[in-house]
Amino acid sequence: MVTSAPAVAPVLSTPDTHVFEDPTPPIDTAALPKLDDEQLYLQYEIKRTIEEIRGGGWKRIALQFPDDMLMDAPRVYEALRDGLGNKRKSEGTANGAKHAEERVVYGRVEELEQDVQKLELEHAKGGNQGRDQEEEKLCILADTSYGACCVDEVAAEHVDAQVVVHYGRSCLSPTARLPVIYVFTTKPLDLDAVAATFQETYPDKDAKVILMADIPYSSHIKAFYSKLQATGYTNIFATDIIHNPSSALPNRTVPAEVESDAETLRQYSLFHISEPPSSLLLIVSSRVASVQIYPTGSTDNQALPVSTAMTLRRRYALVTRLSTASIFGILVNTLSVANYLSALSHVQDVIKRAGKKSYTFVVGKVNAAKVANFSEVDGWVVIGCWESSLIESKDFWKPIITPWELELALTDERERVWTGEWMGDFMSVLRKEKKDVEEEGMDADRTVGEGEAEPEAEAEANGEGDWDDESDSEPPVFDLRTGRYVSQSRPMARARPSRDTKSGPGQAKVAQSLIKRANGDLAQIGGEVSPAAEFLRSKRTWQGLGSDYEIAYEYDDDGKVKGAQMEEGRSGIARGYVVGDDPSKA
Amino acid sequence: MVNFTVEEIRGLMDNPKNIRNMSVIAHVDHGKSTLTDSLVQRAGIISSAKAGEARFTDTRPDEQERGVTIKSTAISLFAQLLDEEDLKDIPVPTEKNEFLINLIDSPGHVDFSSEVTAALRVTDGALVVVDTVEGVCVQTETVLRQALGERIKPVVVINKVDRALLELQVSKEDLYQNFSRVIESVNVVISTYFDKTLGDVQVYPDKGTIAFGSGLHGWAFTVRQFASKYAKKFGVDKNKMMERLWGDNYFNPKTKKWTKNGDYEGQQLERAFCQFILDPIFRIFNAVMNFKKDEIPKLCEKLEIKLAGDEKDLEGKQLLKVIMKKFLPAADALLEMMVLHLPSPVTAQKYRMETLYEGPPDDEAAIAIRDCDPKGTLMLYVSKMVPTSDKGRFYAFGRVFAGTVRSGLKVRIQGPNYTPGKKEDLFVKSIQRTILMMGRYTEPIEDVPAGNILGLVGIDQFLLKSGTLTTSETAHNMKVMKFSVSPVVQRSVEVKNANDLPKLVEGLKRLSKSDPCVLTYITESGEHVVAGAGELHLEICLKDLEEDHAGVPLRISDPVVQYRESVAAESRMTALSKSPNKHNRLYVIAAPLSEEVSKDIESGKIGPRDDFKARARILADEHGWDVTDARKIWCFGPDTSGANVLVDQTKAVQYLNEIKDSVVSGFQWATKEGPVAEEPMRSVRFNIMDVTLHADAIHRGGGQIIPTARRVLYAATLLADPSLLEPVFLVEIQVPENAMGGIYSVLTRRRGHVFEEVQRPGTPLFNIKAYLPVNESFGFNADLRSNTSGQAFPQMVFDHWQLLPGGSPLDKTTMPGKIVETMRKRKGIKPDVPGYENYYDKL
Repeated sequence: MVTSAPAVAPVLSTPDTHVFEDPTPPIDTAALPKLDDEQLYLQYEIKRTIEEIRGGGWKRIALQFPDDMLMDAPRVYEALRDGLGNKRKSEGTANGAKHAEERVVYGRVEELEQDVQKLELEHAKGGNQGRDQEEEKLCILADTSYGACCVDEVAAEHVDAQVVVHYGRSCLSPTARLPVIYVFTTKPLDLDAVAATFQETYPDKDAKVILMADIPYSSHIKAFYSKLQATGYTNIFATDIIHNPSSALPNRTVPAEVESDAETLRQYSLFHISEPPSSLLLIVSSRVASVQIYPTGSTDNQALPVSTAMTLRRRYALVTRLSTASIFGILVNTLSVANYLSALSHVQDVIKRAGKKSYTFVVGKVNAAKVANFSEVDGWVVIGCWESSLIESKDFWKPIITPWELELALTDERERVWTGEWMGDFMSVLRKEKKDVEEEGMDADRTVGEGEAEPEAEAEANGEGDWDDESDSEPPVFDLRTGRYVSQSRPMARARPSRDTKSGPGQAKVAQSLIKRANGDLAQIGGEVSPAAEFLRSKRTWQGLGSDYEIAYEYDDDGKVKGAQMEEGRSGIARGYVVGDDPSKA
Repeated sequence: MVNFTVEEIRGLMDNPKNIRNMSVIAHVDHGKSTLTDSLVQRAGIISSAKAGEARFTDTRPDEQERGVTIKSTAISLFAQLLDEEDLKDIPVPTEKNEFLINLIDSPGHVDFSSEVTAALRVTDGALVVVDTVEGVCVQTETVLRQALGERIKPVVVINKVDRALLELQVSKEDLYQNFSRVIESVNVVISTYFDKTLGDVQVYPDKGTIAFGSGLHGWAFTVRQFASKYAKKFGVDKNKMMERLWGDNYFNPKTKKWTKNGDYEGQQLERAFCQFILDPIFRIFNAVMNFKKDEIPKLCEKLEIKLAGDEKDLEGKQLLKVIMKKFLPAADALLEMMVLHLPSPVTAQKYRMETLYEGPPDDEAAIAIRDCDPKGTLMLYVSKMVPTSDKGRFYAFGRVFAGTVRSGLKVRIQGPNYTPGKKEDLFVKSIQRTILMMGRYTEPIEDVPAGNILGLVGIDQFLLKSGTLTTSETAHNMKVMKFSVSPVVQRSVEVKNANDLPKLVEGLKRLSKSDPCVLTYITESGEHVVAGAGELHLEICLKDLEEDHAGVPLRISDPVVQYRESVAAESRMTALSKSPNKHNRLYVIAAPLSEEVSKDIESGKIGPRDDFKARARILADEHGWDVTDARKIWCFGPDTSGANVLVDQTKAVQYLNEIKDSVVSGFQWATKEGPVAEEPMRSVRFNIMDVTLHADAIHRGGGQIIPTARRVLYAATLLADPSLLEPVFLVEIQVPENAMGGIYSVLTRRRGHVFEEVQRPGTPLFNIKAYLPVNESFGFNADLRSNTSGQAFPQMVFDHWQLLPGGSPLDKTTMPGKIVETMRKRKGIKPDVPGYENYYDKL
């Protein structure tokens, strides 16, 4: 084909200059305050870190910084490296004296290190003192996979780290594999101003108030507490940080009386220094009498009362909306929070039991573009730490909820209550399940005790009954969100995996044999068409190359489909293409 | 009443030619229920088992308290023509003189007209009741229009004639003139909505399609009845007599001749209608009400009325009632009129099929409907749900249009969104039981053949409000009913005690089922909302919800209005948004869609299911669209059927087909929650001007395109002079002249305006039509009443959307701006509307 060359190249892609543009909003590092060495030393708690590292005897250390602290990372790195080096030297000389005798026996340390066997011997004998002299390897982890509040264990394992030092605010979720040194990077706080605001907010000196601060400010709580006590407040309680996200106040201690009776927490007001993450607010606001926030960013020192009623209502709308969803996507948004795997299987199980379909995804940091790629999915459940699981944004094509909310969404409407209580931590869901299982077990024990194998027979009978009704359809579900009926909200209700496992030997045979599928047939699971395949067939107009001739929509004046004449193309291999049957036309 | 066993009733059902399905429709307070009562007392079928129990028509206590019918009720009547000869007058040859009449009494208040729609769907004829004194009112016109739209043949009864005689004391000639005025106005309405297939269905007394009477006193007559009486006496043909007894026909007693000229030798002759029909009635009234004791027995003897012993002692109205009832029993006249002039299912389904059935007119189901074939494939339309005594369960009320339905039959239940070949909204289920519904009572019945009305047990959980039942796998749906009212007034409800939430949710579900029009849903901000057609409707619904369906104490908010977001101009520049990876760009312009197109979309005249060529033709011919554009409508939205369109105007864009689904998803999303206040959009046309896409499929997937499509549509909207639309009621008020000033002042204060003011001929009453924003209508009734000393009766029905005047909704100082701000606060979103820059990307 001979055509004149186009004057300009057709625009098929974005110019190269755009390729590396980062879609996430950049943090203006210039605007952040520069710290001098002294401040840096204090804020990043270099001394404590070094001590802990030395104490643990770790050699490969990963330093995890949130984005807004990355600018300080090299200096922290240097400070730590120098500090560790100095410490090693000073301790090394001390140790040197201790080990003098051995040195005499075994000669130079370097020789000793070359002899692996002997090294191991020494390990067994005197701990890891021998490795003390090995230089610690520090490594900066930037660009966390999930959220800055969580410890990125996977990234740390890439550098084969033995410990992670986590900087900045943290969700304190228990980790699965690695020990963690938390450095909260304390921020300065004007205690007098806070105290004044506090007195303004709570003029009554007997008021029951819990003092709480966002993690970077939590070190001030002690001082603040004594300051307030000095002014005559009697019923205040200062929280301590503990590593327990499912405490009544996440990660904080609670007053002694509350520990015995959680209800008494409702008598307390909460005074929170600095803006808390929204999930914390949701969790706490239903448990205490009121929440007052002291904003640290602004200049006017006014404590703001907060109400989460609106947010909670919106969450409620989401929960009801997703109760009719047929396909759930499970977003694994953590690879480090302990028990995330059991949480995942629990969530999968809950969805399956509700007769719905779930697909599991790991996408790293969640953003709208990533999850919108799967338009089959009606709603997302995120398994992550309690703080980052609450994803509230209008930009998401389909809503995202937490495992706890999912549990609620899949509860029968006749039982679902929305009290204003909210939980972000999936541990609470797991614990609840455990309790249920235990109770069930107890019930089962009892029934078995009373009437032998009767329940089983009954179940069997029920099952048979259901089989007979097979051809009757599932009734539709009333979608509260729209006020209409939704059919197919339980696409997998017919699939009977539990039965299949029972049926034994015949099953395996079927599963292993190859079945030829007729053209156009859809994959079936347990006799039911795969929901995603069904979606592709019925909801998408574009189903891949070759399907577009049906949806051609350019028509000429007679209403006929407009298109170019089909021409036979080339075929063959690169050595020599042919057009049609005629090799000469290559 | 007639005592029948189920078997006997079942026997009647087998002769579709002898069935009449009809609804009683009228303006509120014109006496439908009273008239129905007199029919039921005389001819109501009750099964022998239920004989002697309480009356049929009292259903809900609040209906009686308010004197307003709220729900429509079906009852069966048994009729026989007094004279076997009359069978010949039925247009279709009929053999048996036994008729089963299924009658549905419907509410008259405009707020409940969805009940009327549901009733009309399952009937073929309508008895239109008109008040002699008030004449044709707003709702009379509305229901007539609805009836004719469904191809339902009307007959008319002019009711409350006793009022004209007793209260107004009119003369015979005046009464005649009054009658003819009323009839004329009825015929004006009928001819306005003339339907070619249905033919001329105007009503004429001399054709026997109009009856006159008094429901309260239980008497009524048709000209035909008198004609047959006099025909014997005069020895002329009955039909000839009928013609003579109406209009300008006079009998000259001197010459014993009929003339067309009322003037004889300078003397005014009495019109035949007055002389032969009204005269005896007037005489009875005169004699009884003026206590002319001696005249009464004479009259009775002459008119062959026999009074029982104790009845002779009655006086005044009581006596009048007895005599008139015996002289001209209402049931006889009305039943005769129905039997003779209303079509049987066989007749009606021939011409109704194409308005009833969505599928092609020549498929199996269509033919079975057309022939009303009891042996054909089952086609059954469920028009509404009736609560049972068993809480939470409902009878599905409907009509068999073809085939025979029986208990245990496995049917395909097709919801309103079913499309043949797809699984959505399709259920297979056996019918538990088929039942007869007679007023409040139900009676199990083995099977029901085509042409009959029935109730079904056991399918209520598959259909929300209405749907099609069939046995054919290829059958399309019966057409979904179009209501003349829309749920535009809404209130949010919440439980006082959080633990009652499941009960509220369950109650909302039930409420939504129990009423054809009410809508219950949860807003994005988590409020449970109940939406109704008007204040009264909503009030009744909420009362039902609180006392019956949910049964828990509720907190109910003030009424709120739903707005729509729209644009007032074309985007002042092409909106551009880039995908998150910056590799794809969408260029879109928003422009207003003309009101006519929007209305056509909302009424279903233009819709996503149409053939694109036919649709393009309509858009091009009727709305001046460019044909190429019209053919390239990608979709409608929100909910794939709303009044916004997405038009592809790109030229030669590669891979465009691939992203169509994603853009459509983004469009549905954006139109459901507009950028200004997260309200649905309406009347916006989005033109995709150009698209740049990345060459690799992975970089132009849904994740890149869906959010971008939403952003670009928002940007285009915000660039196109965004505006709010508010719903507007059409208010029709009947008022005496002296109270008109009050109406004007109330309307003006509430941003309403009068656009029509007509005096009712022959009365001091005026008919006023006005537009009133729904937002200003709360408390309008009370306000109007106090300003007109209770003389004005308004009827309000949603009419259209109008631009909310007062400036841009983006400017917080204007009224729309303030409304937007409160709305955003209520929804828990930032009070400021984000600027277009939030969605617009620079090149």
